[in-house]
Amino acid sequence: MEALNTIEPITPDAFMAEVIRFKMEGWRVVQICAARLPDGYELSYSFGRDYDMRTLRLTVGEEEPVPSITQIYPGAFLQENEAAELFGVRIENIDGDYHGKLYRIAGETPFKQKG
Amino acid sequence: MAKQSIVPFGPQHPVLPEPVHLDLVLEDEVVVKAVPSIGFVHRGLEKLVETKDYKEYVYIAERVCGICSFGHGMGYCQCIEKIMGVEAPPRANYLRTIWMEMSRIHSHLLWLGLLADAMGFESLFMQSWRLREKILDMFDATTGGRIIFSVNCVGGVLKDMDNAMLRTLVSTIDGMEKELRPIAEAFLRDYSVGTRLHGLGVMDAGHAQGMGAVGPMLRASGVAFDTRKLGYAAYGDLEFEPVTAADGDSFARCEVRIKEIYQSMDLIRQAAAKIPAGPIAVPVKGNPDGEHFMRIEQPRGEAVYYVKANGSKFIDRFRLRTPTTSNIPPMLELLKGCQLADVALLILTIDPCISCTER
Amino acid sequence: MDHKHDQTPAPWRVFPFAGTVLKNLFSKPATTGYPFEPAHYPERMRGHVEIKIEDCISCGLCARSCPPGALKVDRAAGTWTINRFDCVQCGNCANVCPKKCLAIVPGYTAPGSQKASETFTRPKAPDAPAAGKAGGKPENDAAKCVYCTLCAKKCPQGAITVDRAAKQWLLDAEKCIGCGICAASCPKKCLTLQ
Repeated sequence: MEALNTIEPITPDAFMAEVIRFKMEGWRVVQICAARLPDGYELSYSFGRDYDMRTLRLTVGEEEPVPSITQIYPGAFLQENEAAELFGVRIENIDGDYHGKLYRIAGETPFKQKG
Repeated sequence: MAKQSIVPFGPQHPVLPEPVHLDLVLEDEVVVKAVPSIGFVHRGLEKLVETKDYKEYVYIAERVCGICSFGHGMGYCQCIEKIMGVEAPPRANYLRTIWMEMSRIHSHLLWLGLLADAMGFESLFMQSWRLREKILDMFDATTGGRIIFSVNCVGGVLKDMDNAMLRTLVSTIDGMEKELRPIAEAFLRDYSVGTRLHGLGVMDAGHAQGMGAVGPMLRASGVAFDTRKLGYAAYGDLEFEPVTAADGDSFARCEVRIKEIYQSMDLIRQAAAKIPAGPIAVPVKGNPDGEHFMRIEQPRGEAVYYVKANGSKFIDRFRLRTPTTSNIPPMLELLKGCQLADVALLILTIDPCISCTER
Repeated sequence: MDHKHDQTPAPWRVFPFAGTVLKNLFSKPATTGYPFEPAHYPERMRGHVEIKIEDCISCGLCARSCPPGALKVDRAAGTWTINRFDCVQCGNCANVCPKKCLAIVPGYTAPGSQKASETFTRPKAPDAPAAGKAGGKPENDAAKCVYCTLCAKKCPQGAITVDRAAKQWLLDAEKCIGCGICAASCPKKCLTLQ
């Protein structure tokens, strides 16, 4: 079966509107993933409907705040907390914010540094 | 409003050896809210990808979980293969399918045993695990490991099964099917099991989809979603339909998993009959460069693998979204309004794997 | 969520488990009498790593490919050391070994009260032939070479590039581990390890 599996870049301004549109059209959150860039982060939000999957790619600076999508998708809180805790992405207003206490880890933001 | 009290649950589940902790807000005996706290076993395995050769990381990827280890290794390898434009040979795809379905049987039997244990039906628990032992022995004979198989490699698989071995596998599966029937009967038609499970933790299709449930949890609510239908490995050549149940309660989740065991047995028989001859791996030269999202159906549901490679032998980012990560939010939803005594059983019905969620 | 404990009528059976119970009562136990009876391991079982130290060329590929870092190779002393308590039995060392002197065989490592490593030392073989002996980088005698590319194909590290058209033989000295397989496989014997 051929199913959609695309990565679409998106600007921070258009991001929330797009997420709300996904919600209205009945997509679910598949995964949220952060990756390190030299001067910031790359966030991938994947949404799925039936067998299709579309990923929104958001590129943010190191100190740039990112709005939480938990108001729209409450189930996303675990993965948003993870990105905030392991990478130090500034995700704001998470519904169910653990404030860095999700994982019991020795140092702060271990995934932010390379190697 | 009745007086609220907070009861800590965990970090050890009574029957499931997984470190999940919940703060349960109770009104009398009824759960109003559940706040999960995980994080006891975070090992930072995703981080290791930056310092290990990408071919060597397969062995680490499969150590993320002790139950779905084969799938983790396979998902990672398929992701790299996709990025590098390498096609695993057909025989390797069939072998992967066979081992994947054996993993599913093994995982579901483990879960059935735990479910019986959670209900206090100890002898049924032992019967389920006795049956599971046969699959583990088969794994030992075909791959060399009971839990961690180390047979996947980028470009195919490392070990082949000859015809004699495939015949033994099919006859073991046939024997197991006969032995499974009375056990399944006890789960599905025993009065006390039925009263315990029927109507407990009902989740309708809309709710399950909205909260992002995956796997048997979603299918028990009547949604026919099974990522095997995407046709990765050899699933495109095999005939099967996603198993669903309509009720969305704990009994339905049990029923779906039992039917999936039969389905997996059937898939193994189909694959063993259709398996083509040929090489089991293709040589892979060079390093991956690019990114890809790969989805496969693990016993517990859809798992997502993401690899971002930079052209060197070390990978920039590997992400694994396990099925339990997706199933925890609907589980919290299930717990709202249930009795304290049902909490342990309800947590179990989503088949959580916390260690693999934290990686 | 909805929590109705109603009992939907289902096709109940009377004592569906009784048959299994009775059968188990009169059959042999499913367990074995270990340790009085020995455990049976299948042929493919990955239990522990064994080395044929005489064949080892101390190339160090196994140590570099070991995910938990349980192996140590000392080329000068000709030793191969394994910490069996760190080994995870993945079998990667046996897969990458260019001389196939490593094998993963059935049977678990016995438990111990302390973590210890085991060292194997290669017996000295002073009269080994120069070609095929490990220890140096290969050099090509361009006069004899026929550019058959066999050495490039055999090289476990992919360190040799042969361009038949341009009559070029190139070695990536950084990748080369001095295993000597190229020299041993060379049909014209034009490669020597220096």
